[in-house]
Amino acid sequence: MKIGAIAGITFKEAKRDRILYLLFFFAAVGIIASRILAILTVGDRVKIIKDVGLASISIFGVLMAVLIGTSLVYKEIDKKTIFTLLSKPLHRAQFILGKFLGLVLTLFVMTVGMSLIFLVLVYLHTFRVEWTMLVAIAYIFLELVLITAVAILFSSFSTPILSSIFSLAFYLIGHLSWGLELLIKKMKAGTGRVVAQFLYVFLPDLENFNFKTEVVHNLPIPAGIFLYSLLYGLFYTAFILALAILIFRRRDFI
Amino acid sequence: MTRKPAAVKGSATLLFLVFLVATCASFMALKAKTDTIQRKKVPGSSIIYIPSGKFLRYATFGYSTLAADLIYLWAIQYYSTPTIDDRFNYLDHIFAIISDLDPTYIDPYETGALIATAEARDITLAFKILDNGIAKNPGQWLLPFEAGHIAMMNLKDYELAKQYFEKCMDLPGAPEFTRRLYANALYRKGDIETAWQTWLDIYNTAPDERTKKIASNHLYQVKTAMDTGRLAEAVKKFEEGYGRLPAELGDLVRVRILKDLPKDLDGQDYIYDPETGNVKAATSPWKR
Repeated sequence: MKIGAIAGITFKEAKRDRILYLLFFFAAVGIIASRILAILTVGDRVKIIKDVGLASISIFGVLMAVLIGTSLVYKEIDKKTIFTLLSKPLHRAQFILGKFLGLVLTLFVMTVGMSLIFLVLVYLHTFRVEWTMLVAIAYIFLELVLITAVAILFSSFSTPILSSIFSLAFYLIGHLSWGLELLIKKMKAGTGRVVAQFLYVFLPDLENFNFKTEVVHNLPIPAGIFLYSLLYGLFYTAFILALAILIFRRRDFI
Repeated sequence: MTRKPAAVKGSATLLFLVFLVATCASFMALKAKTDTIQRKKVPGSSIIYIPSGKFLRYATFGYSTLAADLIYLWAIQYYSTPTIDDRFNYLDHIFAIISDLDPTYIDPYETGALIATAEARDITLAFKILDNGIAKNPGQWLLPFEAGHIAMMNLKDYELAKQYFEKCMDLPGAPEFTRRLYANALYRKGDIETAWQTWLDIYNTAPDERTKKIASNHLYQVKTAMDTGRLAEAVKKFEEGYGRLPAELGDLVRVRILKDLPKDLDGQDYIYDPETGNVKAATSPWKR
């Protein structure tokens, strides 16, 4: 109940944030501009539209999650409204979870908005609703949920600028961690290799949420990957949120 | 808000820690599980979207040489991973990007050509990479040297090898043996006269005994080629005139087809086989 109330307030607060609409505007421009880029290609124009459209949803979604998420908790501390909140019978975990769910709801609305523009654009070119695109979008949203948790984690103990840098670094690491696999194969057995193997499984693998190539090229997707990727995302998000709560519980605001 | 007793707070923290460990173990296990599921890939999809180096140069904000280093390091790992079946599909693209980002970085041209030749078995691409490097680094001897070597050893195109070695040997820093490779290319392409002149020049200007010996052996080989060619022609003329092969090489002088019989560089007679009409040197140039 309390979590729901905080989530509602966070949603209202986020939707008043101008940066959200600015990013949504740029995302819409990016999706629509894919039509212009498609003119420049030789061959399949729809492929370019799908690629650029999905990339716009993903990139601008991440920017929304990071830029809004990193200031959510910090703003409460900076404006001292946290004192009013924590003086009430409210657990700090409820506060963090409420903030998280509020932003996830905001991102859900934004993702739906961006997806509608994208699907309409694809429909205007193919004259059919491409439902498979929704698979890629759903997992982009799952990635955004995880990034939101990370942004809130850093926001619980750092400034918005540093939190933004850390969150974007997390995003980059998440998409480049496959490089560790190459490194492990070339490393000799020993401590270094064990450390690299640990990092490989511990660091986020956001490629687990990347189904863009498969849906654009109509490639078959193994059924098991949907469930395991979903669970992976949920467990990782739960881990990050638990870490955020643990850190936030230990913070002293006086 | 009422303050919670320390024991309650402590057990809540413990509960959070247990939750943290459990979720961490879960996502690590799931990561291992998702890795076992093979997903379909579009050939070259991992690198197909890397833009042209010309555009990437602007996106590196002045760090284009660093970007070239990173892409080169990555490329070495990528191309030495045999499990990526389609890794050679965009070899040209990747090394063109590195070249655009850092045109004076010599190693990638050399490595790219080596990968194209030895791994991708695409000699045309190897020349494309090296020619690009030569065009951007006209003062570097290594690139025409590599190109000449590939033309000679892999393509067996001695005219092309000659052109690259000729380009290389005039550049500062080029090893002195490039001239010998050039002379050898001339010999192999059949330009015996120029090969003789070049080897003679190398012999006369040799800085040490070893080089002199090498040049001498090659001169022996070139002279043998010239003489055996002349003798074979004379044997053919004799056969046309008398309807049989000469019994010995002296017959060619007796019937005045030749004024005298040539000898090899060591003054030895050439060996003639009256059964086949073949003429060969008494010894191998490399066993003198």
